[in-house]
Amino acid sequence: MTAVLTRRPGLAKIRTARSPLHLVCLGFVALVTAAALLAPWLVPYDPNAIDLGNALAGPSPEHLLGVDAAGRDTLSRLLLGARTSLLGPLGVVVFSTVAGVAVGMAAGWRGGWLDSVLSRSTELVFAFPGMLLAILIISVYGEGLLAPVIALSIAYLPYVSRLTRSLVLTERRRPYVSAYQVQGHSALQISLRHILPNIAPVVLAQSTINFGYALMDLAGLSFLGLGVPALTPDWGRMVFDGQTAIQHGYPLSAILPSAFIVLTVVAFNVVGERWADRVARRDR
Amino acid sequence: MTSKTSPHTLDVQGLRITLPGTARPVLDGVDLHVGAGETVALVGESGSGKTLTSRSALNLLPPGAVVEGAVRVRGEDVLTMNTDQLRALRTGTVSMIFQDPRAALNPLRRIGDFLIESVTLTGSMSRADATARATELLRAVGLDDSALRKYPGQVSGGMLQRVMIAAALMGDPALVLADEPTTALDVTTQAEVIALLAELRARFGTGLLFVTHDLDLAAAISDRVYVMYAGRIAESGPAEALFARPRHPYTSALLASTPRLEAPQGRLTAIDGQPPDLRQELVGCPFAARCHLATEVCDQQAPEPRTAPGRPHHQAACHHSDRLEGSPVDA
Amino acid sequence: MPENVLEAVGLHRTYGSVRAVDDVSFALPEGGSLGIVGESGSGKTTTARIVVGLEQADAGEILVRGQARAARQRGRARRLARAREVQMVFQDPYLSLDPRTSVDQVLRETLRLHFPGTDHDRRVRELLDQVGLGTRAADARPRQLSGGQRQRVAIARALAVEPAVLVLDEAVAALDVSVQAQILNLLADIREETRIGYLFITHDLGVVRCVTDDVIVMRRGRVVEAGPTAEVLAAPRHPYTRLLLESVPRPGWDPEAIAAARRAL
Repeated sequence: MTAVLTRRPGLAKIRTARSPLHLVCLGFVALVTAAALLAPWLVPYDPNAIDLGNALAGPSPEHLLGVDAAGRDTLSRLLLGARTSLLGPLGVVVFSTVAGVAVGMAAGWRGGWLDSVLSRSTELVFAFPGMLLAILIISVYGEGLLAPVIALSIAYLPYVSRLTRSLVLTERRRPYVSAYQVQGHSALQISLRHILPNIAPVVLAQSTINFGYALMDLAGLSFLGLGVPALTPDWGRMVFDGQTAIQHGYPLSAILPSAFIVLTVVAFNVVGERWADRVARRDR
Repeated sequence: MTSKTSPHTLDVQGLRITLPGTARPVLDGVDLHVGAGETVALVGESGSGKTLTSRSALNLLPPGAVVEGAVRVRGEDVLTMNTDQLRALRTGTVSMIFQDPRAALNPLRRIGDFLIESVTLTGSMSRADATARATELLRAVGLDDSALRKYPGQVSGGMLQRVMIAAALMGDPALVLADEPTTALDVTTQAEVIALLAELRARFGTGLLFVTHDLDLAAAISDRVYVMYAGRIAESGPAEALFARPRHPYTSALLASTPRLEAPQGRLTAIDGQPPDLRQELVGCPFAARCHLATEVCDQQAPEPRTAPGRPHHQAACHHSDRLEGSPVDA
Repeated sequence: MPENVLEAVGLHRTYGSVRAVDDVSFALPEGGSLGIVGESGSGKTTTARIVVGLEQADAGEILVRGQARAARQRGRARRLARAREVQMVFQDPYLSLDPRTSVDQVLRETLRLHFPGTDHDRRVRELLDQVGLGTRAADARPRQLSGGQRQRVAIARALAVEPAVLVLDEAVAALDVSVQAQILNLLADIREETRIGYLFITHDLGVVRCVTDDVIVMRRGRVVEAGPTAEVLAAPRHPYTRLLLESVPRPGWDPEAIAAARRAL
């Protein structure tokens, strides 16, 4: 049994070596990350400052990317929106990876009843639509970024734990693990010092891909008005706010955040898949 | 090159293969031939180039390989064949038996499908004919036709290797390449598979190139033996001569370092050091660094194969063959 | 009679309906070398794994210097004491080392666990020297080493624990002939120096002859023949032992007859 990373067929062309797409995507990821980190110093306006006189104005030297229906500067909101839009998925990925690896390692290493219990309970989460779970948790805990992040982390955990479990099962069958057991090392030492570093690259590559999906899910939630508070700049929220403007013939404030969501997700997926491919091909 | 057809089933001449990122050729001037119906063993340690040499008969070469020399199967140069000719070669004229039958078979396909599809997919045989031949061959290798409906997981390793032998004979090949076909098997099963190979060779008249690391096995089953070291043929000749009076210090050292039932108990005569790395350029004899006969000339000049006095088919690439005579291993 | 460093008494192990190990007993004298010979499915590897504690026997016990080797222990002290009784060298030198750990780290890890607070630098040099590896190899990752070098590292790692018995499970089977001879000689030297006991699991009768004093022949989980190696190989009493001996390729070898004998058995 070998672990296979989830990936779609037909993308072989753009994944081949020396493909410029990978570099472009890597660059884009770096750019978005930099924008998110430096946003407070980059923004030309307060993202919530309302300038109703200029509402729905197109691009101009004062407002490079125009103004939305509520009279807020789109560029400022995009830049600051990158923070929430990236911070959320980051939280999801960190939490789901840490918890998923712990669950997967325990299940894979101990086996037996613990494996059954853990595997069945993660399958239970699998059977439950992630978005529905998120909406449920948000409706209980109310507004704020934390509730959707926790909800999605739980929804993503089974993917990580299942991958980790199968990797651990393969890895622990290698004789070097038996060798450490014979040497008198404890199970915990072997898991943390030897198995974890050997499976980490594959898990992290998968987590990079998960990042893109989490970004999409969180944007979807905030488009539905769930999670992110109304005034916080966020790409999903911006699409929601901008949809009325489209009807008035001013699509820029909705299309730009949409484009950023799509490009960021694609970029993270390409980078993640490329990484996963490289890790999988590595001679072990 | 087409002026004269060679009488040999397989004729390799001056084969030199260079792979990207290496300092010296993986194969360097390999000359080898297998006559019709002849069993030839190619002996070497890992990295000696023995597998690559055998695979060259099917033009199965690693990507990026730069090839010089000629590999002819029944007089036709394999290296210049187009895709269609190669397919015909691989499904008909030359077939291969791999070391690990379990790894070479798709576990989800029945043994019968595996045997039959190799010939029906190319259209060289109808399904009914192929089934009949598969049944016949399975009987020939000592299995009954119930094996056709079994999955690889349901039979033992020895039986599976017999299936592989049957599969290799499906297209009625002129040459069978067997790459360590018994290494993954138990000793008693090995004897059975070897007996089978010998019998089938006599019955179907196929040439057999037997690749192995085991000198004793090679000597026991083959007419002639080639010993390879670091991509070159170190010594070649009839099995008995090579064993009784080796003319290359590598062959003699290999014989001495094999733990044997007949040999005196105690320490073995090991060969110190390791075979030369591919990243390192070679001047002179590749074995010089590990050789107890080596002199200055060995480091400077690569030895050419020279014929043993009085034994025209026994050749060794060594400057000091004559000093070795008289110090053979009593086999 | 010298004291036995390792003794197995009536080992049994079944998997489903298969009796992998069926009433196996043997004794290894202090400083001796015992071979277990058999083909795949003979139970020799399962026996070895029971001895080191990677498998549990259904019945029977293992004694080290007369003391029963306890079942798997949770406590650190007991675990380490068990490790110092028996160590193991595995068949595949390519898989028995963590690909991410350098030679130096492998040895230090073991020394830290078993001998905290001693001079590890000196001991690492000693061990590398003992297995014929230069200090240059210390920084290498397994990937950079040849099969023979890796097996030397595996031996050094086992010796680092200073065990009473070393179990070698087909430890030279994956190596080239010329390298195999080096390792077999090395093992002979180490036994002479340290008086460590060897339990040598192999299918190769030539190897058995070369490195063992006594041998047991296993078939389908049972011991079919046991005795001093020289005697068993010179005058086998069980037909299966004879078949094994005849199966070894040599000039004038008759595979046909062996195949017939195998079917008859």
